[in-house]
Amino acid sequence: MANDPEEENVKPDPRQTLSKWLSRSMRIKMSDGRTLVGQFLCTDQARNVILGSAQEYLNYSENSQDEPRMLGLAMVPGKYIVSMQVDMD
Amino acid sequence: MLSSVGTVVYGVLVDFISNTMNEDVPKETPSPSPVPQWEQPPPAPEVTYNWVEVTDEFEKACNELDLGELVHAQHFGLFEAMSAIEMMDPKMDVGMIGKHATRKVLTFKQSVEEKNIKLNNLVPEELIVIMDTCQACILSWIEGQSLAQTVFTCLYLHDPYIIEDRCLKAFCIGVLKVCDMIKDKIYKANVFEEEDFQTLTYGFRFATNVTELRVVGMLKEAEDDLSRTIRTTKSNEQNDLTNAHKMSCLQGVFARIKFLRLFLQAIVPFGKKEMDVVQGSKKLLIQMSEQLEIINKTIKLGVPPITTEDGHEVSIGFEPLVNQRLLPPTFPRYTKLKSRYDLLPSYSDIIKKLLAIIEMSNFTSFQSTLDFIVTSSQCNPCVFTRSVLQIVFMADNRKVFGSHLLSDVLKESMRSFNAPPSFSPRYHVLQNNSKAKDVLDAFLARATRTINKLVQAYGHNYARQREKLAAILEDLAILQDDADRCDTDLQTIIQSLDPNTVRSHLTCFGSWTLHHILRVMTQYVLSGFQLELYSEHEYHYVYWYLAEVLLSWQMTTLNRAEGQLQRDETLNEQMQSSKSRSHKKAKKNKKKSRLHAKELLLVQGMQMMSAGTFKVMLGFFLDGKLKTPDCEFDNEATRYEHRFQPFLAVSTPPFMPYKQFREMTDVTQYYPPPSSRDLYMSSSKHFEQAKALYEKMAPSDETQQLLLVAKTNIVVGKLLAGGHTRKSTTKPGFDFSAHPVFPIIRVT
Repeated sequence: MANDPEEENVKPDPRQTLSKWLSRSMRIKMSDGRTLVGQFLCTDQARNVILGSAQEYLNYSENSQDEPRMLGLAMVPGKYIVSMQVDMD
Repeated sequence: MLSSVGTVVYGVLVDFISNTMNEDVPKETPSPSPVPQWEQPPPAPEVTYNWVEVTDEFEKACNELDLGELVHAQHFGLFEAMSAIEMMDPKMDVGMIGKHATRKVLTFKQSVEEKNIKLNNLVPEELIVIMDTCQACILSWIEGQSLAQTVFTCLYLHDPYIIEDRCLKAFCIGVLKVCDMIKDKIYKANVFEEEDFQTLTYGFRFATNVTELRVVGMLKEAEDDLSRTIRTTKSNEQNDLTNAHKMSCLQGVFARIKFLRLFLQAIVPFGKKEMDVVQGSKKLLIQMSEQLEIINKTIKLGVPPITTEDGHEVSIGFEPLVNQRLLPPTFPRYTKLKSRYDLLPSYSDIIKKLLAIIEMSNFTSFQSTLDFIVTSSQCNPCVFTRSVLQIVFMADNRKVFGSHLLSDVLKESMRSFNAPPSFSPRYHVLQNNSKAKDVLDAFLARATRTINKLVQAYGHNYARQREKLAAILEDLAILQDDADRCDTDLQTIIQSLDPNTVRSHLTCFGSWTLHHILRVMTQYVLSGFQLELYSEHEYHYVYWYLAEVLLSWQMTTLNRAEGQLQRDETLNEQMQSSKSRSHKKAKKNKKKSRLHAKELLLVQGMQMMSAGTFKVMLGFFLDGKLKTPDCEFDNEATRYEHRFQPFLAVSTPPFMPYKQFREMTDVTQYYPPPSSRDLYMSSSKHFEQAKALYEKMAPSDETQQLLLVAKTNIVVGKLLAGGHTRKSTTKPGFDFSAHPVFPIIRVT
């Protein structure tokens, strides 16, 4: 996790890239069509992502959402992730 | 691991909901909330998100991480990660769509709108399968499954009032009412744990707006309708096969409606103080068994359920997934419902147990009632019958069987146990003394509280009962101190008021309390066998503790009580004979009847069985056929102390420490030290004594089982003593199939 100063000038450190998204809202579309929205808390090499206070939507689009279901702390295995967005506000 | 963490999350979630929702919920049900939190719309999002696509960038960054490395928010580590539910894992993710996405799950309303479900003109074959599945759901529910996954998978129950078919409508409302009744009784008795009964009702309505009487009326009307149809069908001239089939279908539906009506009528009175009404349920329950036979014969007439592509059996009018979104994230997606073909055995068992409970309400002595409660808790009763037992014993008005105060019942129990002078009808010295009365009242009040708790403990499921009994021992220990103090105080009062009397109050209440303590302790040890907690190499000290400590103390206690009873009788007789001499002969015969004779036999028999089993075990240890595992982290002393730890709370009988057990069972202290043969021989003798005792008793299932074990073990003991299989290295076997506590010893 420590920043390695030697690598800094070669390309952006992946840890730093990921760290800057931590605690932000994240939207993940899963392979079965559901969408989860929650706070990005943790990830690892296999792109398993843990979202805090996650809400589950069956049909999610930018403009209209159905009623979400509260899931709480949820882990999405990397292999089921179709796409992900971070809220940069 | 993760799934157990999941359960924790669910528990926390439920706690959270119950904490946050309780304030504005009507208090009538302990259910946390009529509308679960996850069903309520979340607050409208105030922020609009500025979503930025990161999929590829994220993936690339992750690929560069080391194996096992985590990028995590501050204060979020592996420990917290453990409690996350894993999406797309069928065990944890109830909302997983994947496999069953092809089947559209419709609610009742949607089904009606799309005309997918019939509201009228249901044929009898359809009614039969709907009704049977409903009953199977009720049975699954009282076995601990969630309402949302059992009873309310029946779409009709979501809104029975829009059903047009009178018969089905009445049935559905009847089912709701029955569920409501069952729920009420279970809440009232309060002997359930999360594994027995799910308290969440998910806001479903239980036909609370109609009275039981009205529901019974509706069901009766449906019965009348049906019997009219049956009559016209009967008079139908074509007497062919189709007509016969139609007849049996109609009779099947009739039996189901009647069964439900009888069930509703039978369970309503439980817990009410009017015992004659409870007695009336007996007739209804017997009628239910008759209907059950007809139901069982016609189950196969129902329309067979369809198996969906995800491998689930779905009957008409049911949708197992309809409540999926109501469930907390960690619930298993499918609940295995009871089969419709299990209706007969399951309901027969419930009816049998309810009849036995009604029978219990005729018992006159507390001891026999308590015995009944203890034994009935051992045959794995469901949460409903356990609850009914509790509320019949302690009815709505907080009286035993609705008519006697528990304190009066206990007074009577003490009087018949060892006739304390304070309750003697012929000894008035204490009755008019206010100080004595205060002392007595205080003791009775505590005894009532403790015994009440004890009875309730026996209402819990067998595994929970064990931990409850351990806790009760602490209460009983306090009661014992109280009892001893009370005895001494009353004795002082007697001596000051009536210095010449030979009556003594010492060890009266003390003995009664000790008797109960020993029974609880014995039950605690025995339940370990039924729950299969002990390892084979532990049996020897468990049986030793039973034989040498608990049961031998119990023998002493019972013999002392017997002596006290006889002394009381003699004293009363003397008083009587000083007044008139005529009754003397009659009294002499009565003297011989020993009140505790039966229990003494039972206890002594058990003691002999335990001693016999212990000696065989000891012989096996000497012969090296059994060994204590010699692990670094295993220590017999620790195990021993752990097994009997709850007994530390009680001062009498004193706890027998492990060291003392070792000393007392050390064969080398004798000269010459007994060989394993001597031990086998002596064991065989113990079993012979046990056999002789059990043969004296009135034959019952239990004594027959015990006799079988004793007789077999007599032979085994003799064979072992004769050197049979001496060289064999096979481990001896312990066969508990004949009796749950005392095994048949198997040697090969």
